[in-house]
Amino acid sequence: MNTSVRLSLSSLRSHKRRFAGTFFAVFLGVAFLTGTLVMGDTLRSGFDSMFGEANGGTDAVVRSADVITTPGESQGVRQPVGTSLVKTVDHVPGVAAAAPNIQGAGQLVGKNGKAIGGQGPPTVAGNWITDPTLNPYRLAEGRAPARSGEVVVNRGTAKKGGLRIGDTTTVRTPDPVRVTIVGLATFGGEDGMAQVTFTGMTQADAEKYLTARPGEAASIQVRAASGVSQAELVRRLTPVLPKGVEAITGQESTQENTDTISSQFLTIFTTFLLVFSGVALLVATFSIHNTFAIVVTQRARENALLRALGASRRQVTGSALAEASAVALTASAAGLAGGIGVAAGLQALFPAIGFPFPDTSLVVRPLSMALPPVVGVIVCLASALVPAVRAGRTAPLAALRETAVDSSGASRTRAVAGTCLGALAITATLSGVLVSPSVWLAGLGAVLALAAFVVLGPVASATVVRLLGGPLDRLRGVTGGLARRNALRSPKRTAATASALMIGVAVVSLFTVFGASLKATMDQTVSRSFAGDLAVSTPSFGAGGSGLSPRLAGAIQGLPEVDTAVGLGQGVAEVDGKGRALTVTDPAALARTFDLGTVQGSLRDLGADGLALTRKEADRQGLTTGDKARLTFTDGRKQTFTVRAVYGQSELAGDYVITRAAWAPHRTQDSDTLVAVSLKPGVSAGAGKAAVEKVAARYGDPQVQTRDEYAQSSAGGIDMMLTLVYALLALAVLIALLGIANTLTLAVHERTRELGLLRAVGQTRSQVRAMVRWESVLVAAFGTAGGLALGAFLGWVLVKASDGASDTAFAFALPPARLAVVALVGITAGALAGLRPARRAARLDVLRAIATE
Amino acid sequence: MTATTAATTGSTAPGAAGRTAARVTDAVKVYGAGDTAVRALDGVTVGFPAGRFTAIMGPSGSGKSTLMHCAAGLDTLTSGTAHVGDTELSALDDRRLTLLRRDRIGFVFQQFNLVPTLTVAENITLPLDLAGAKGDAEWIDALVDVVGLRDRLHHRPAELSGGQQQRVAVARAFAGRPDVVFADEPTGNLDSRSGQEVLGLLGRAVRQMDRTVVMVTHDPVAAAHADEVLFLADGRLVDRMESPTADKVLDRMKAFEVRT
Repeated sequence: MNTSVRLSLSSLRSHKRRFAGTFFAVFLGVAFLTGTLVMGDTLRSGFDSMFGEANGGTDAVVRSADVITTPGESQGVRQPVGTSLVKTVDHVPGVAAAAPNIQGAGQLVGKNGKAIGGQGPPTVAGNWITDPTLNPYRLAEGRAPARSGEVVVNRGTAKKGGLRIGDTTTVRTPDPVRVTIVGLATFGGEDGMAQVTFTGMTQADAEKYLTARPGEAASIQVRAASGVSQAELVRRLTPVLPKGVEAITGQESTQENTDTISSQFLTIFTTFLLVFSGVALLVATFSIHNTFAIVVTQRARENALLRALGASRRQVTGSALAEASAVALTASAAGLAGGIGVAAGLQALFPAIGFPFPDTSLVVRPLSMALPPVVGVIVCLASALVPAVRAGRTAPLAALRETAVDSSGASRTRAVAGTCLGALAITATLSGVLVSPSVWLAGLGAVLALAAFVVLGPVASATVVRLLGGPLDRLRGVTGGLARRNALRSPKRTAATASALMIGVAVVSLFTVFGASLKATMDQTVSRSFAGDLAVSTPSFGAGGSGLSPRLAGAIQGLPEVDTAVGLGQGVAEVDGKGRALTVTDPAALARTFDLGTVQGSLRDLGADGLALTRKEADRQGLTTGDKARLTFTDGRKQTFTVRAVYGQSELAGDYVITRAAWAPHRTQDSDTLVAVSLKPGVSAGAGKAAVEKVAARYGDPQVQTRDEYAQSSAGGIDMMLTLVYALLALAVLIALLGIANTLTLAVHERTRELGLLRAVGQTRSQVRAMVRWESVLVAAFGTAGGLALGAFLGWVLVKASDGASDTAFAFALPPARLAVVALVGITAGALAGLRPARRAARLDVLRAIATE
Repeated sequence: MTATTAATTGSTAPGAAGRTAARVTDAVKVYGAGDTAVRALDGVTVGFPAGRFTAIMGPSGSGKSTLMHCAAGLDTLTSGTAHVGDTELSALDDRRLTLLRRDRIGFVFQQFNLVPTLTVAENITLPLDLAGAKGDAEWIDALVDVVGLRDRLHHRPAELSGGQQQRVAVARAFAGRPDVVFADEPTGNLDSRSGQEVLGLLGRAVRQMDRTVVMVTHDPVAAAHADEVLFLADGRLVDRMESPTADKVLDRMKAFEVRT
């Protein structure tokens, strides 16, 4: 065996504990990464096979060729096709069966009167396709709907809502429709398509409730006769289809569905997790680097002896790197196994919490097996590289000196380089944020700021730790003083240890600040633009929910307490070739319940051929009142509108406003997203709310909120996101704490004799413990303080950059209470990290400690 | 302030000379077990009289360091008893032993005697600070003059020479006016001039300030500073010598080496 390798292996064997921290840092990072990749692949393959199985009987799909995509929507809106086309298709030779597929939003109400789902996955209603091969759902129990008012629901939804065959309930489309459940269905062998809720009606019901006009379907599913391939079927279908309608193969359709799920959910989900494993690995890099740096310094004598005995620099460096590789490989291997375990655990856990994880075996692709260990080894070796090179440079004479402890302070070069980096960071950020808004420039500034913080850490650590530890002397006497000075001993080491925690805390604070700013923004938006007294909306999130009945606004308007009730619906159209979201409403009433800023022109009579748009959009499109704009609707029809008004604020009202009359010819399933209500003078909010609630109860019982409640609930999703982010960042913080614990353990080891002396002259065990613990707290406090400062700054950058990049005016908010909690958690965690090293220090045998060389 | 005045303020009890500051009785210390067991102390009974400077001598492995460690509460005896004043050490748990060391015993070690992060002044008052006690400011002030470190009080140990460091250690050992100061090869790492200074300090502390010192050494010249020398060999007390001189001690040691 190679000498270097033999040396490093024997060294590893004798110093196993030193590398425990490194091992766990790599292990956790690699496990997280592996788990993410395996879970992503497994989910993707699960959805693949689910769609494949479910759509297996569909050989071709006939649908509208035009799709209008608005910014921020991945799927786009497609125009319906006429159901009469089914007959035409049926006559094409090679077609065995054809059925219309009518789909819309339909939210079921459970046994307890509460709507089922709606927090993310879609709530779908459609026609129950009678040809079993064309229907992705299979009847599991009961029978298919035969009469109006009969429905089949997927088994998962029924279970969740406590519904059984024979039960009568409501489905909101969004107008409440009374239905009786006659059958339960499965999708691809599962209780449902993930968490999507499905309600299948008769075709007549579906046309009645889910489309704007009977005789329209989202698409037509076609099954080929035996011996006709999918491609052949499409070839035969294409000539008989009218203009603007296309046919694609079943395989393509399945692929599209899978891609949609992938891009909407899986890709975001896995990217999100990958970002956090990246943060965890970055934090791990600092911890690992620090461990190796300390070990190399502590071993200076041993390395010097090797050098004196004739080992080359390369051999000493090689042996240090071999040591790092050995740790990296073991930890990566363990992490790989751990990650697969995590994925398997989640696969078992998800169904238990009601999320039907597609029933496939774990998909472990070669990439998921190769990438994490490679990343683990690279992280470990890169972190160990500088210390290893330094080990090689050990002068042979160092063998004769006292045990070396790196107590070098920060060099002037470092201070200068750090300051330059900092200045550069501030310049880049400020110009990216204030001068010429550019997300890239701001992002570059953010990265530079992070680098500057890391470089300047050792420069700042002495001052900051002295400051933070100032009260310790007074509070804890000599024990506190010793802790403070121990933390000050090696500014570089303290800074490097704290850096890991700093990054973790910085990311946590960044999200905290950004979240608070988003909330403040929403609050500001509502208080600025919403001039009404009450808001009626459905508590939904993502693609779920069915919206509000378009008739609700009219019903509320009829109340004696109400001055104005205006419903806001949504439409899409292409304006000069680009997809845009339209707000469909009564513009005159809109102006009474929303503050639209300065209005040029009049919102009173937009009519069926007029539109209003924001100042920003008007400037962008070069439009002004009186100009004409060409709108293309999803039904393919083009219509010229006249700009009748330009308004200042878009936040709640959207960029384009058209009347219901203008939208009616092009509408799809009708629903409002919000009904804004202003009360008559003298009517209290409470009385008004009670009255409106009574009416709303008849229309699917949506939420009625006062202005303040509405502002707060708009921000509700942010808290949920933040909780998830905190949970994911806990891993990075845990790794940082392992780093602190490890550094302290090494420090305790190198101060053995000093601890022995302290014990000999009368330091009690509890004083020793307190000393080490306080040192840990100080290091953690330093990292936390840096992280808070950096995070707040980056949060500000992110808010300002978003402000510059979007039309919404972002507000910046620092949440003091939340940040105080972050600080408290960081410091408490520091105390926890110090527990084990403190116990070890206190356990030292006095005599052996003094006798240690 | 001179050493003489310090001696008057520093005396603990009149007629201290008759008392025993620390003693061990039938002390046995066995390291290891079975075949590899080593009897480091094999039934030693000895008292260290208060107000005296006692040196313990013996070849390597004679048990002299073990004797000191056990008498000072740093180590425990396998059998027999150790007392500091009237306190029996085996009856004390770790905490009370630590407090006893802190409040009633002073230590001077061969090397690594100071805490590198503390200044000279802070090192001197370390045991007092650990106890949260104020200490006797006048006494400590006098000590600083005796060890001649007034102009170094705010330096760190790393900025001092070995001899200076050891003088700080001596000052720390006496700062709390302990019942007894144990010195373990205090001159082992010093050149002869610095060594003489440190030994002179220990001698003066005993004779002029009425303190008690027990010193382990293998250097006859160092032992000659003591009032009495105890000779240990193979874990037994084999001889004692009053009013030693370096030559007499050296002769006695040579006699051992011939015999063993």
